Amino acid sequence: MSEQPTRRDVLGHAVRGTVLIGLGGLAAYLGRRAGPETVWQIDCDRCVNSRAGAVGVDVCERCATECVLPLSAVRAVNDYAKCGRCYICPAYFDIKSAVNAQGLPSQKLCPRDAIDRKPIGWVDPDDPANNYYEYVIDERRCNGCGRCVLACKEPAGLGSIRLVVRYDLCLDCNRCSVAQACPDDAYLRKPLTSGEATA
Amino acid sequence: MPYQRVRLISGRGPAASQFADALRGLAVDAADRIYAVGDSAVKVFSPEGELVGLWQTERAGWAIAVAKDRTVFVGQTDQAQLFDPAGHLTQTWKDPQRLGLPTAVGLCGEHVLVADAKDRCIRCYDLDGRFRHSIGGAGRMRGFLIPNGHLDLTVDADGVLHVPNPGKHRVERYDLSGRLLGQFGRFDGTDPAGFSGCCNPTNIALLPSGQVVVTEKAPPRIKVYEADGRLLELFGQDDFDPRCKNMDVAADSRGRVYVVDTIRLHICVFAPAEAQDATSRPATREGQPR
Repeated sequence: MSEQPTRRDVLGHAVRGTVLIGLGGLAAYLGRRAGPETVWQIDCDRCVNSRAGAVGVDVCERCATECVLPLSAVRAVNDYAKCGRCYICPAYFDIKSAVNAQGLPSQKLCPRDAIDRKPIGWVDPDDPANNYYEYVIDERRCNGCGRCVLACKEPAGLGSIRLVVRYDLCLDCNRCSVAQACPDDAYLRKPLTSGEATA
Repeated sequence: MPYQRVRLISGRGPAASQFADALRGLAVDAADRIYAVGDSAVKVFSPEGELVGLWQTERAGWAIAVAKDRTVFVGQTDQAQLFDPAGHLTQTWKDPQRLGLPTAVGLCGEHVLVADAKDRCIRCYDLDGRFRHSIGGAGRMRGFLIPNGHLDLTVDADGVLHVPNPGKHRVERYDLSGRLLGQFGRFDGTDPAGFSGCCNPTNIALLPSGQVVVTEKAPPRIKVYEADGRLLELFGQDDFDPRCKNMDVAADSRGRVYVVDTIRLHICVFAPAEAQDATSRPATREGQPR
């Protein structure tokens, strides 16, 4: 005949369990502090929108659609050192749209109109192509859909635009829904580097 | 008249007739021999595609041209080298300030015209390598608009330069002093008569008839225009790796068009329907059935 646990036994087990859980959590916390801090990042060499050689593919918009935030923590970033400052930028214009009276594509590519196009210096009134143009991504409007990234990729463009995770927006979920949905395993936890943090 | 691919020459690989890493420049001489430069070598092919000559260059070659006396000019980083028809080095023009990235060479009488993609303009030299002047670098943009990083040119028998200005979606014509004579071209993302994308056309050649052949990237394809800019032919859409860009192009005396596949490292030969002969009908890689 088994002995019934006393109230003291139950309380003792409960306390010991709580202490063990607390110690486990503390160990995990200290372990994380001891190693390099990791954050969610996008590997551009894996992401289909930016991966070299992936030509003729459809855009992947999961960074925009899968994030638990109302507006994803992912943003497109233009590397000005690589940007060609083109008169007709395939990441800004929908280059398949009808040509307007100015000889430019009539539609923009970004569904949220998050890219601003500004002439650098004065515009030659006789020949607007006789100029460079700056393309600035407004992060208040960008949702990281990746359309501009794909359009700018070599060989169509120069590959100056890429997707990054904004850590001040990211909730740092343990089971990130974007990472779960990413078909290219391009959404990864990586050690935080100063370059990525300021990208 | 429609063009059809009739032959593939060279390719990526270790064989003497192949290129290991890069195939960049192309020229055809008066006897329709094909001169290709890539890696650090010049390779000469017969019109049938057989390797008939091979020699090394000091540096990786970007561009090539062949004079009437078969002197071979090779543009290399910071310099140009001249070779006799047997491939012996005769001159080296070191001019890093003006030949930073020589992506095209054109010849006209006493003039040697070298496109410098680094400074986005054309350098004019005499046959002894003396610099004369630059073309296209003095305008508001300080040069041609080449976001693609490659400047091409060709010269016709009258000494008129034909230069793609891809950032402006145009083909421009200059005299040898650098005066703009005319232009054609416009942007259009759907009408093939226009030039699509950020920067097209990228490369240019002239047919014996004076018609203008250009290549484009994204998607890679070839077009033939009348000198006034009227589109005549569009072909090659299915013949190149889609990642190709800056595909050099040349034409021979029979109107055949030679285009570099910069990824597969071979030369696609296209012939107008009426120029095809019995030896070139099947589209074969050198010695291989299709």
